[in-house]
Amino acid sequence: MKRRAVVTGIGCVTPIGTNTREFADSLYAGRIGVGRLTVFDAEHYPVQIAAEVRNWDVSQVGLNPAQWQNCPRQTSFAMGAGLQAAHQASLADARIDPSRFGVYLGCGEPFEDFTAFTRAVHDTQRSQQPFVEHALRIFDPDAEREYEPDMPAMHLARLLHAGGPVANCVSACVSSTQAIGEACRMIQFDEADVMLCGGAHSTINPFGVTGFQRLSALSTRNDDPQGAVRPFDADRDGFVIGEGAALFVVEELEHARRRGAEILGEITGYGSGQDAYRVTDTHPEGRGAVKAMQRALQDANLVPDQINYINAHGTGTPLNDRVETLAIKQAFGQQAYHIPVSSTKSMLGHATTACGAIELAVCLLSLQSGVIPPTMNHDSPDPDCDLDYVPKQPREVACRHLLTNNVAFGGQNAALIVSRFDESSPATVRVRWAA
Amino acid sequence: MTFVLRNHYEQERRIAITGLGIVSPLGRTTGRFWECLTSPPATVETAERSPGTADFEGRIEDFDELPPAIKKTIRKSLKLMNRETQLGVAAGQQALLNSRILENYEPDRMGICFGAGNVSVMPEDFQSAVEACLDEEGDFELDRWGPNGISEIAPLWLLKCLPNMPTCHLAIINDLRGPNNTITQRDVSFALAIAEACRTIRSEDADAMLVGATGTTLNSINLVHARLENEVSDHFDSADSESHDECNGMPFPSEGAGAIVLEDLHAARQRGATIYGEVLGAASASCLGHDGASAGGHALAGAMRQALRRAGLLPSDIGHIHAHARGSAITRAAESQAINDVFGSTGLSKHVVTTNGRLGNAGPGTGAMEMVASLLVLEHGCVFPSDAGDHLDGHRLNRSVNHGGGAVWDSFLSLSMVGRGLGSCIAVGTSDE
Repeated sequence: MKRRAVVTGIGCVTPIGTNTREFADSLYAGRIGVGRLTVFDAEHYPVQIAAEVRNWDVSQVGLNPAQWQNCPRQTSFAMGAGLQAAHQASLADARIDPSRFGVYLGCGEPFEDFTAFTRAVHDTQRSQQPFVEHALRIFDPDAEREYEPDMPAMHLARLLHAGGPVANCVSACVSSTQAIGEACRMIQFDEADVMLCGGAHSTINPFGVTGFQRLSALSTRNDDPQGAVRPFDADRDGFVIGEGAALFVVEELEHARRRGAEILGEITGYGSGQDAYRVTDTHPEGRGAVKAMQRALQDANLVPDQINYINAHGTGTPLNDRVETLAIKQAFGQQAYHIPVSSTKSMLGHATTACGAIELAVCLLSLQSGVIPPTMNHDSPDPDCDLDYVPKQPREVACRHLLTNNVAFGGQNAALIVSRFDESSPATVRVRWAA
Repeated sequence: MTFVLRNHYEQERRIAITGLGIVSPLGRTTGRFWECLTSPPATVETAERSPGTADFEGRIEDFDELPPAIKKTIRKSLKLMNRETQLGVAAGQQALLNSRILENYEPDRMGICFGAGNVSVMPEDFQSAVEACLDEEGDFELDRWGPNGISEIAPLWLLKCLPNMPTCHLAIINDLRGPNNTITQRDVSFALAIAEACRTIRSEDADAMLVGATGTTLNSINLVHARLENEVSDHFDSADSESHDECNGMPFPSEGAGAIVLEDLHAARQRGATIYGEVLGAASASCLGHDGASAGGHALAGAMRQALRRAGLLPSDIGHIHAHARGSAITRAAESQAINDVFGSTGLSKHVVTTNGRLGNAGPGTGAMEMVASLLVLEHGCVFPSDAGDHLDGHRLNRSVNHGGGAVWDSFLSLSMVGRGLGSCIAVGTSDE
């Protein structure tokens, strides 16, 4: 019998809501979080729009902002989402064995301070002095120590007294999806009873905008921020950089029951797959995504017609949306045409390593509300994207098993299935998936 | 071995290690690596390389003997790989070749899990862009970055420096379509990667996993961070023993990668694979909520106890301990105390080995190189000698002593820690029928 992993706490800090209630309200209202980029001066950049988290600081979760001022934005978001999730799960009141409580996040690469870095490059070019010695003099040591992807996980483990495994993974845009899936595996394999998992990221900085701009991945609709992200639409031209965090308290079922925790859903399926094709492009038929979704179905012991909704990766790039549509059709067969599929990146932008966690939060909220969010800006159907994308309006759906799918540069793919908690879940029996 | 296997997962798949790969400052084959480890430092020829630099120049010839098609793919991809990625890919290719697992495999049933460091932003990648933003006085103008600087950055720069690139390139080169992940948790990354790969095989998400880690503290930004974290010596200018002593045991900056192939033990035996060892238990723990120098040691002791329990082993069963033995004197003292806490009086008679004085601190890559070194101890049945740079308070380092329990070549614990409060432990033994 597989140990079951249930969700007992959700926290999120996003461009359309800095707590789960605001986030859910915005999702169902179709509120788009994209606007002019304000985090740094991008007036002379080719891309001047982003989905920024606004009106947020860590005082909203009881932390002193002055103590967190040296941290990158993603750390601040992770603290918010992590402490929200812990609060909802009442972890402070629970007598949890610290050695059985771990943290697994998929937080992305926090880049250096751009001004200090370019200054160091310039100064060392001019003076021919060693970069390292100069950087050690001009970089802020307290800030530099925070520029590591594992710092959010370390801070949260410290604040919440987690004494079990602490890990961070970086697998581009599937990082947080994999972090959640692997955290569930730790519970299933009896290596932990409680895991705080999810992800946070912000690439809204000159390094991030430069990198994605050079990859030609970004929408350049600077004059129409609200209409810029157009997943599955014929006129889509790229994604908009977003940011944020979503974290969850995932707990072994009996552990949650013993302490009377409210069960918000069960992670029943997790699958991961690699395209093994090209670093820059997804496989033309999305074979890695197909495998990830099929493995998640097999892990949950479900068949395609049991899935009620798919939250797609849906970046709004011409290639991703066409290939992801093909992958969904391969994984679900004819049933693909009967499953509503939406991309919440149309509202949230692309939070890169954090997107999978945020999209799992979307699914968990839909389990509770019975409403699935729309794909905004879906005005002109694309013949290559011919599924039901829930255009522009939320929809009431009987939500029992929901799947979220993510795809990454480098060919990595991952999917999660979250289910309404049911005593007789089919996921308790494990069968080996046959290719 | 004298102990009875009581594996935590005894009803599930057992995990064999069937391939080894290494690219290190002490050579880029396991044979050369072992030869260097067992030779006095002064006799090891490192050619023109500066201390800590891996025996690897990034040419296609530096990769192992490879089938032509794979060589062609690697040659095309080299320009997309930074140095850490190249080292990781080279070590991974060696391990795959050594295991011979690709002679007959299902692409969907083999995955990869690596440990790696943070994104590597290299100053040289930004030099021409910064030059394009200079004003008439020669000063850098940030406002010019948008119109003048961005277009000077290489189109694929971002993909070149991401930490997950070693696993992506290895998957593409070898058509490995199973689960694929990269763990970025500093010095415990490799141990976490092994544990994750074992779960992946035991959950039947894959039949085999390539596991490794790559890292460097030689590149500019990583060296800045390592110096700020007090992880490498800041006054080290050569790899000789006297300098080690001056550094009081602090390792020198270095680079390197190691990789192993894990697979279902039964399947490995069926295909007649060479089995270098069996992963008996893996665990990690944290103690981040506690201030003070002993946090890392507490975490490490917790990880050791869990790994031993999951392996069904007693401390006296363990043949040798591959210590972390890096960081400040306080961190090393905490590790020493952790070993004493777990092993009690038997700990003083254990072989405690370390390779720091020879390999330096290659960030996450160090743990993988240490694993390969200890697996070679199992293969050769002896430990490598100590070095002037190896320090761990109160423990005999790399010296033969007689003691009860497992012999050095029977089993070992591989320890890793992060001084501020993370510890991990992998228990490995020889594989008995």
